[in-house]
Amino acid sequence: MNEVKGGEELSTGRRLTSGLTFLALGILVVTGVGFGLHQASKSPQSKLYATVNGTTDVPGFGTLKHAFISESVWPDVQTAVDNGAKADRRHPWPFYGPASHFVLPAHALVTVTLKVYDGGEKLNHNYFAKVIGTVGNTMTVDGKVVDALAPDGVQHTFTLHGIPTSTQDPLFVNVPLPVADPDNKPGSFHTVTFSFVTQGVGEYVWNCEYPCGDGTYAKFGAVMGAQGYMSGKVSVVNV
Amino acid sequence: MTTLVTEQHARPVPNPKKSLITKLNMGTGVILGALFAAITYYLIRHSLQTITDGAVDPLNPNQNDQLLIATMMAWSIGFLIGIGAFIGPFRWLIGRDLTAEEQLYLAGDGQGIKRYFKYCTDHKVVGIQYLVGVMTMLGVGGTMAMMIRTNLASPGSKFITPVVYNSLVGLHGITMIVAMIIVATGPFGNYIMPIMIGARDMAFPRLNALSWWVLFTAIPVLCSAWFLGGIPTGWTAYAPLSVQAGAGMDAFLMTIIIFAISTAVAGANITATVVTMRAKGMKWNRVPIFVIGSTISVALAIPAFPTFMLSMIMTGMDRSFNTTFFDAHMGGSGWLYAHLFWIMGHPEVYVILLPGVAALMEIAPVFVRKPLFSFNAAVLGFAGIAGLSVLVWAHHMYISGWANNLNGPFMITTEMISIPTGLIFLVLIGTLWRGKPWMKLPMLSVFAFIWNFLIGGITGIYLSDVPADNYLHGSMFVTAHFHFTLMGAALTGAIGGLAFWYPKMTGRMLNERAGYISFWFVQIGFNVLFFGMFVAGAEGQPRRVADYAHQFATSNLISTAGAYSVGIGMIVLLWAVIHSWRHGKIAPMNPWGSKTLEWTVPYPVPLENFDELPVITSDPYGYGKGK
Amino acid sequence: MSDHNLAPTPGDRATTFFKRNDVRRTSVIFILWTATFTILGIWLYPKFMPRIMSKEMLSAENIMIWFTIISAPIAGIVLALATNAFLNMHRGDTPPEEGPAVRTNGPVVVIWTVASTIFALVAIVWGIVELNVQSVEAAATSKSAMIVEVTGSQWLWTFNYPEQGIETHQLNLPINRPVEFDIRSVDVNHSFWPVQLGVKVDANAMVTTVVRTTPNKLGEIDVKCAELCGILHAYMETTGAVMTEADFDSWVSQVQQSGASA
Repeated sequence: MNEVKGGEELSTGRRLTSGLTFLALGILVVTGVGFGLHQASKSPQSKLYATVNGTTDVPGFGTLKHAFISESVWPDVQTAVDNGAKADRRHPWPFYGPASHFVLPAHALVTVTLKVYDGGEKLNHNYFAKVIGTVGNTMTVDGKVVDALAPDGVQHTFTLHGIPTSTQDPLFVNVPLPVADPDNKPGSFHTVTFSFVTQGVGEYVWNCEYPCGDGTYAKFGAVMGAQGYMSGKVSVVNV
Repeated sequence: MTTLVTEQHARPVPNPKKSLITKLNMGTGVILGALFAAITYYLIRHSLQTITDGAVDPLNPNQNDQLLIATMMAWSIGFLIGIGAFIGPFRWLIGRDLTAEEQLYLAGDGQGIKRYFKYCTDHKVVGIQYLVGVMTMLGVGGTMAMMIRTNLASPGSKFITPVVYNSLVGLHGITMIVAMIIVATGPFGNYIMPIMIGARDMAFPRLNALSWWVLFTAIPVLCSAWFLGGIPTGWTAYAPLSVQAGAGMDAFLMTIIIFAISTAVAGANITATVVTMRAKGMKWNRVPIFVIGSTISVALAIPAFPTFMLSMIMTGMDRSFNTTFFDAHMGGSGWLYAHLFWIMGHPEVYVILLPGVAALMEIAPVFVRKPLFSFNAAVLGFAGIAGLSVLVWAHHMYISGWANNLNGPFMITTEMISIPTGLIFLVLIGTLWRGKPWMKLPMLSVFAFIWNFLIGGITGIYLSDVPADNYLHGSMFVTAHFHFTLMGAALTGAIGGLAFWYPKMTGRMLNERAGYISFWFVQIGFNVLFFGMFVAGAEGQPRRVADYAHQFATSNLISTAGAYSVGIGMIVLLWAVIHSWRHGKIAPMNPWGSKTLEWTVPYPVPLENFDELPVITSDPYGYGKGK
Repeated sequence: MSDHNLAPTPGDRATTFFKRNDVRRTSVIFILWTATFTILGIWLYPKFMPRIMSKEMLSAENIMIWFTIISAPIAGIVLALATNAFLNMHRGDTPPEEGPAVRTNGPVVVIWTVASTIFALVAIVWGIVELNVQSVEAAATSKSAMIVEVTGSQWLWTFNYPEQGIETHQLNLPINRPVEFDIRSVDVNHSFWPVQLGVKVDANAMVTTVVRTTPNKLGEIDVKCAELCGILHAYMETTGAVMTEADFDSWVSQVQQSGASA
């Protein structure tokens, strides 16, 4: 009967100390886990700030700040390094570089210049072969104005959208990117530019709608389900 | 209750030979498991290289999946060999059996704390192993819940990225589901139940140890899911999303396969024990209600879990061998997965619920000092729920579009479950009526259960009605509803059971003041948390979203505040359990004045529980005056 | 509570039952709980649920309100008995005195079972009738319905209007015109949820699922995905509106000209 192991009962004071210490430790552990996760979440989301340079008249919108942003789409890290870009992605997957989180000014015309180096094929959904939501619903490919691509000649898409809410203006942009054919000519690329108008402050996401997760169901696994490659955030902020 | 001497048990003097058996423990298991895993990894990798004439293609997910699944399987088998799980069957193969000394050694006789790290066949050791395992899982799952709620505290997903968020949702789900399935039947079903029915051990003690250690091997596998990129699918792992997902999915499906084996073994064992090993005179109408509830629960799990295992094997084949069970482009069907999953999935929620309810039904008469109100209604309620639960799975698929004409029939069976559920309420409130409940921790759980399960039940009725489900399906409302039943009802029941049986399992009383503090933090926080979520769901917020529209901000913030309160309460409870284990008040043999058999044995409970097996002459609910 | 309540003599039970203190107290608590749940049902859902813009949405909200009201008395009984017991609590370190040794009460069990069966039947009949009404209406309008082909892809919805020959990512609908959504997915499962219309159906690969409704109020609608579909599931949302025929026509011709919706 008296084989119960362990110590004596503690005095109320010591019990209280023990309990409170434990509570504090517990909260500390959970907070620590949270901090760790938060840090892990941050790293691939390195931010790219748009540079504002003067103003522009946009039909229907008046005079707006003009912001610029430059980004590349690489088929893999090696190509990026060969072309003099900094790249530190873990997996041998295509990716948007240098950053995946774009910070844009509110109420501005944003002109994006994309250098696209990857090959490509057919979209899952032809809707994304159209240029949508840019000024004039067009983009330029190596200087030529284009409003759509053939659905089987797309390498990736830049598709920007978000949760429609009561406090955030809608923003939808879809730009298909033409195939650069790196298999035949390594290092070949197209330069795609397009402009769109941001309204109020808000948080959006962008992703690629070209199925580039080879070998997975609907080719939307692998790179498509990882962060920092083919998807990211867009923050519209007051500058 | 009368006990008579019916059988004298002669106990041999423990004298284990220095055989291999005495050398094996968790450490050797881990070593052999890791060794098996490493060897398999390199062999498969090598053979894949030979097949493909070169390096394993990292872009070929199939090969990666084959490699990982084989490695995890090897770990599990290696661990079990290393800890000595197959010594018995091996002996039979060579035509011998374990000697009496070896059997006694396996039961952990006189080994102190070491036996908790061995392949120990004593049901009490297995019970404690389950208890510690369950508490660890609940702690990990709860921490993930805190992370989820933190991210949802305000719109914008500012805390973590969607990839991390989705992984957390999936891992929180599966960790909690696994923990909740074993939360009552594991610790109490193993430790208490055999004593309750007057048995010396389980019917198959070695299978009992196997069920725990098989489950144990699933833990590192599940943890590896995090490092393999997480699971983006939620715990339902719907195909074809699960076929598309990354390598973390392999860890998930191996966890389920291993867990299903453990459940099958444990379920068969508990059922066999209760059917065959009850004390003399313990007719079915004298069996304590906790035993009935747990047995019905595990008996329900036996047919349910194999379909889950099957669905996971098929997912694994789709992933690693390019089969197309769930690929509609190639003639498969995602609906096939949904069926296999929910044929397990709905019975599974009652597998979770019944033992918790049954524990509270065991508690209520003791603290109200009245007989259990209508034992027959309780049994009918359990049996009715179990019977109907296998006929309702497609109510999870009302809006899947697979067969709209069958929504009506499934709605009928689903809503009929409210009849046996009503009996459960009747038994509890009937027991309470005209009693003066002794407000100890276990009794508080009964009251919390009644409130929580009532809310869970009423909201379940909306969800079972197709036109309402058309709106509510896949929204936060569903999440709140099933947390009210699984956490508010089943976990509350299990915590009540822990407070109730703690003195018998540790020899000490659970610290009451900490228990009360924890109780109110958890219950108030819980209700705030999930009322906020009901509102978010009614407003139209989908579930499992990392981010949401601004109009849901208030309800989500309220939910998060509630979640932190639950978190604090749970930490306090964990302290109470750990602290009281060592420093609690020494418990008397029968602190609550209960009439079930487990309170007739001293602490520490002797190896084979009873010196003399009891004989039962009445049911254990003979409380009250004016019989 | 006094002791004589614990052991009433069988003879005068029926007459004195409602005069007993505990019964009276429980009855009062019963009324309070029932009223609470009734008010909760009437107040909560209309307050928080989105605008009702179709019969399906009305039917969903009605079920939530009325089932709460119908179940209020049952919740009331359960909670009243529990509250009463809670108020009778015994504290201290010794067990309370023994209660009455009531093992069962046949009539109570029977009445309870019958009552909960009736309750279940009400819910079942209500649901079946609603289902039937909805499917009859859907069948009646299937010929005249405007077709919208909804495509779910990771992680966007798009809408093809074959009659109008336009494809957009915004769901605009004319008011009071029956609409048939033909839903499919190009990849994993999604679930098409135009929130204010109160309908929902999964999008599956290679299969077209159909759902019909008739928007009957003007205003904004939110379109969400209600089935976890990968990393950006939360962002698979878009807006739309129910508009007058004229507005709808001008929107259609605007999209036809620009080739895409703004």
